[in-house]
Amino acid sequence: MRAAPAVALLVLAAGAWGEDAGPRLALGGEASFSYSNEDTGFFNDAAYGHNLLHLARLDLLASLRLATGLTAVADLRSENLDAPRAYALYLRYRPFAARELDLQAGRIPPVFGTFPRRRYAQDNPLVSWPLVWQYLTTLRPDAPPRSPDALLLVRGSGWLVPSAVYGAAAGVPTASAARWDTGVEARYADGPMELAVALTQGTLSDPRLEDTNDGKQASARIAWHPTPGVLLGASAAQGSFLDASVPLPPGRYDQRAFGLDAELAWGRVLVRAEAIYSEWDVPPTGRPPFDGPLAAAGFYVEGRWRFAPGWHVATRWDRLGFGDIRGSRGPEPWEAPVSRIEAGLGFTPRRHILLKAAYQHNARDYGFVRGNDLVAAQAVLWF
Amino acid sequence: MVLRRSSTLALLALVPSTSAATLRGHVDVRLEVRPPLVRPAPQALSEGPPRETPDRRRSVVYLERAPQGAFEEPERARVVLDQRGEAFLPYVLAIGVGTTVDFTNSDATYHNVFSLSKPRRFDLGRYARGQSKSVRFDRPGVVRVFCDIHSHMSAYVLVFAHRFFSTTDESGAFRIDAVPPGSYSVAVWTDGQVRATRGLHVADEAETLGEDFVVE
Repeated sequence: MRAAPAVALLVLAAGAWGEDAGPRLALGGEASFSYSNEDTGFFNDAAYGHNLLHLARLDLLASLRLATGLTAVADLRSENLDAPRAYALYLRYRPFAARELDLQAGRIPPVFGTFPRRRYAQDNPLVSWPLVWQYLTTLRPDAPPRSPDALLLVRGSGWLVPSAVYGAAAGVPTASAARWDTGVEARYADGPMELAVALTQGTLSDPRLEDTNDGKQASARIAWHPTPGVLLGASAAQGSFLDASVPLPPGRYDQRAFGLDAELAWGRVLVRAEAIYSEWDVPPTGRPPFDGPLAAAGFYVEGRWRFAPGWHVATRWDRLGFGDIRGSRGPEPWEAPVSRIEAGLGFTPRRHILLKAAYQHNARDYGFVRGNDLVAAQAVLWF
Repeated sequence: MVLRRSSTLALLALVPSTSAATLRGHVDVRLEVRPPLVRPAPQALSEGPPRETPDRRRSVVYLERAPQGAFEEPERARVVLDQRGEAFLPYVLAIGVGTTVDFTNSDATYHNVFSLSKPRRFDLGRYARGQSKSVRFDRPGVVRVFCDIHSHMSAYVLVFAHRFFSTTDESGAFRIDAVPPGSYSVAVWTDGQVRATRGLHVADEAETLGEDFVVE
C-alpha cells in the first residue's frame, strides 16, 4: 500500500489535535461459521477452493482515534484458519467538524454499489452473497482469452479456468466483495444527497493492493435519501483491468461498470435491490476475433421480514447474464448465465448471536454441473 | 438482582399503621462509567453524525422486598424513552408494572428498537423522526433495549412490582416516599448491576431517613 496518501492525511491533520485529546481505541469482532451440503457446481465459490457456504471467518475490527477528526481503521480477517490479512486498513479524516466531508486512504471500502458495505454477516439476511458480487466468471486479468471459441469452451468453470500459457486459476466475479481495493476516496453529504468518489489500484472485479495493471480505477456513487426509508443510488467505475505483465497489443483494456441500487424500509420489512452492468475490453485476438468488449449484467432483489422479536425470514432472487460473442458457431453468451433463488430463516437467541438457515436453488445454462440445490446454515457471533 | 414480585414469604406481616417514612439520600458514583465506544465500522464511508452521550451514572435505589400494601392496582402511567443523537435518553428508566413507555424517534435516521429480555420481548420495526411507538410493561424485571441498526445504542428499563424505587437526579439525590414501618434491604443499581445493598429499619413513627451510598 502506498504510504503517500496516508502521509498526506497525517500532514493535513497536523495541528488538528483538539480539546478532546487522547487516542481512543475501539474494538469489535465477528466470527461466522457457515456449512452446507456439497456445492458440486461451485456456485458459491468466491476464490478457488473457497466456498462461502463452507467457511469459518474471524474478523477483528479496530478504530483508533489519533486526533480530532483523524481515525485509523482496520479489519483483520482470517478465513478457514488462514493467516490473518488486512481486509481493511486505512486512515479516515474529517477536516471540518461541521461538514460531512470524509477522506479515506489505504485499503478502503468500495464506493460502488452497496452490498460490500453491509455490516458483514450480521446485515446479510441470508447465507450466500448476491451472484454479481461473488460468482466467479471465466474471465482472468492475468490470462486474457485467446479467442471467442476458447472462451466459450470453458463456460461454467470460473472456479478454475485453464490456460495453456498461464496455468489454471480462478476467474474473477463481475464485482468483487471478497476483498477491497487500495487507494483514496472522498465522501460528501448534504441533506438527502450523498456523493462518494474514489481512485484505486484495481478494478471492480479485481481489487488490488498494488498497481499491477498499469492504471487506476476511478469510481463514484451518488445517492439520494429523500426519507429515512428510501435510498436510491447510482454508481459508475472505470479502470485498467488486464495485468501489465501480460503481453498485449497496444491499447487500453478497461473494465467499465454502471450500477443502480435501491433500499426500501418500513416497519419490520426491508427490501433491497441492485443491478450492475459491466464491460471488459479484451485483445482482438483469435479467429474470428473478439469484436467488442465482454459484457455482463447482474440483478438481485432481496427482502427481509422480522415477523417476531429475534426472528426473521428472508428471500433473494438473483440473476447474472452475459453478453454474446461471435464464435465459429455464431453468437452465444460468453459465459453461462446463472440464476439463484434463496430463502432463509434467521433467529437471534441472544443479542450478539445470529443463527441462519437457508435453502438455495442454483441453475446454470452451461457447464458440467447445471444445477445444485443446497441447504446451508450459518452461526454469527459478534461484539 | 431481585426485581421479581415478592413471594408470600417476603411480605411483611405488619400491624396496620398510618405512619410512613421517607427515605432520602445520595449515591456517589465513583466508578469509571464511560460512554460506550461506537463499534468500529470499516465498511462505512464516513465518521457518522455527532452522537449524544447518555448519562450512565444515574442510579436506581429501591427496596428489594416490598412492604405489604405495595401491590395495589398497576400503574397506568406513560413515560418517554427518546432516541436522539443515536442514543437512548435516558439511559435507565425505572417504572412500575403497567407503565407504558413511548419510544419516540427524534433523529433524522431510522431506528429499530427491540428487546429480547424475558420480562418483555418486542420489536418495534423501523420508524422515522417524529413518530413514536409504545410498549406496556406488565412484568417486573430488567429489560435491555437496543437498536438493531445502531449497535452502540442501548438502555435499561427496570420494571418494579411495587412503587418503592427512585432514580437519582443529576446530583445523585434520590427519594422514596411512604415507606411503611419495617425492616428492608435497600439496593443501589448502577450501569447494569446492583452495586450496593444495605439493611434498613423504619420505626413506627413517621420519619425521614437519610442514607448515602458510594458506588465504586
